Amino acid sequence: MRRRIALYVLLIAVAALFIGPFLILLSSATKPAGQDVFGFPPDLIPRPPVATWFREAWTTIPYARFVLNSLIYVGITIPVYLIVSALTAYPLARIAFCGRGVFFMLFLSIMFLPGELMLIPRFLVMSQLGLTDTFASVILPAILSSLGIFLLRQAFSQIPDEVVEAARVDGANEFAIFWRICIPIVAPTLAVLAILGFVSVWNSFIWPLVVLTSQSKFPIALGIAYLSGVSGTDVRGLAAGTVISLVPVVLVFLLLQKRILNSMGGAVKG
Amino acid sequence: MPGLKGRVVGQHWYTPYAFMLPGLLCYAAMFAWPAVIAIQLAFSDYDIVHPVRFSGLDNFIELGHDPRVWIALRNSLLFVVMFLPLTVVLPLFLAMLVNLKLRAIQAFRMLYYLPVITSMVAVAVAWRYVFNREGVVNWMLGLFGAGPIDFLLDRHWALPTVVLLEAWKSAGLFMMIYLAGLQAVPSEQVEAATIDGANAWQRLRHVVVPALRPTFAVTLVLSMLEAMRAFESVYVLTRGGPLDSTLTLGYYIWSKAFEDYDMGYASAVGLLLWAIMIVLAGFNLLVTRRRDV
Repeated sequence: MRRRIALYVLLIAVAALFIGPFLILLSSATKPAGQDVFGFPPDLIPRPPVATWFREAWTTIPYARFVLNSLIYVGITIPVYLIVSALTAYPLARIAFCGRGVFFMLFLSIMFLPGELMLIPRFLVMSQLGLTDTFASVILPAILSSLGIFLLRQAFSQIPDEVVEAARVDGANEFAIFWRICIPIVAPTLAVLAILGFVSVWNSFIWPLVVLTSQSKFPIALGIAYLSGVSGTDVRGLAAGTVISLVPVVLVFLLLQKRILNSMGGAVKG
Repeated sequence: MPGLKGRVVGQHWYTPYAFMLPGLLCYAAMFAWPAVIAIQLAFSDYDIVHPVRFSGLDNFIELGHDPRVWIALRNSLLFVVMFLPLTVVLPLFLAMLVNLKLRAIQAFRMLYYLPVITSMVAVAVAWRYVFNREGVVNWMLGLFGAGPIDFLLDRHWALPTVVLLEAWKSAGLFMMIYLAGLQAVPSEQVEAATIDGANAWQRLRHVVVPALRPTFAVTLVLSMLEAMRAFESVYVLTRGGPLDSTLTLGYYIWSKAFEDYDMGYASAVGLLLWAIMIVLAGFNLLVTRRRDV
């Protein structure tokens, strides 16, 4: 019993390390104007908590616009990402063809082309295609990932042959088998990829910073960076804006945590 | 391999390629073509304004004479050295902690994982409140009679602070990798060791760690590559300063390309970073392979 209490104390102490900074952010975002954000000893409980800074963050910069943009980026990118990944992974798992291994390695090689190193050449490709400063320029690089192809290939290859053979005997073509039979079976994997994709698109910062020039197309993370630039002194407004940007990912995470955590383990175990 | 059979009804020679067509197009446009351009640019003096002009090995010769490249390389290697223990060793203990069979343990896993899913920009803002001169960390240091320290403005503290932020942000991910590894360790082995009178440390040392060898290989590579390309954290916290003390290779590439518009030279530094990463990953693979034999 005593050992168990000691373990919980340890677990909570470690948890404080990981969520402490977020709590301090939240406390700064809800403190009234008269209360110090910094100072010794730290005064972390807002008295009384106020919502004014959220309103201020929302009105100082086109915050609603940034949130809407991020929703558009997520809304277009994720379905396209899932469809392209599934189409690519399917033959790699279920059709015998020449060069299959080579194609698989090709798509896995994406892992070795880190986004940071692709910033310059990708920016030039976008200008050659006349796509800089468009929504498409933000979306295109995000529709292919080695993780997506890897996980879906595994999911497809685990489907028993009998399931597919039955449809084949009925005369279904390959696309019908893919779309009507295999896609529903790999739905859990698609869900996991959708969540991970959501998180990464919502958080994307550097690439939009490079390729976008008009503020009206900024996603939320860029909006936060912009907010910290324009209101260097207003620490409460910045904290509030940042808290708003965290809400959607945290919500998605809370709702689907079990699936996310299990999949992370599974993905790594491969 | 299931599903690997001869040609079947409803399949033509082009069926697999038709499926992969969108993926291949995206691969060509967003990965292969840019990679070719990156290599081409590294041998040019491209500056966005003038057309691309081949300049032979000029960029690479410049590389050798550029003191800031060496500063950036040193900082990146320091980054790796400080980052590895924080992401290869500590998360194993986190994983052991959340692998305990206790009520609500899932909630703790989730809390430790939270920084992984939040954006670097938001996390950097949160950290500014914590590591401010009058923030919580300095208050705690004060209790021990130390500080206060301007963590991000002091050239000795800025790099360790950025490393700490990156490690804190990805600790949950490494924890999950170890957790998967731990759950694959046969529990009979651990039990047998317990019956033989091994204490917790001996079990860790002689049963768990050897069983986790493949997991260590994964975390080591991931951690090294992540540290080598550290950039976003530098961008949002310090912009390479103060006095180049957080200038990593990743940030140097960015500043050469998008602040000085010296795209050719930036690409050459990019190739250098790329080469280092491939060597590190290859070396790692070699070492872990040899140990397995």
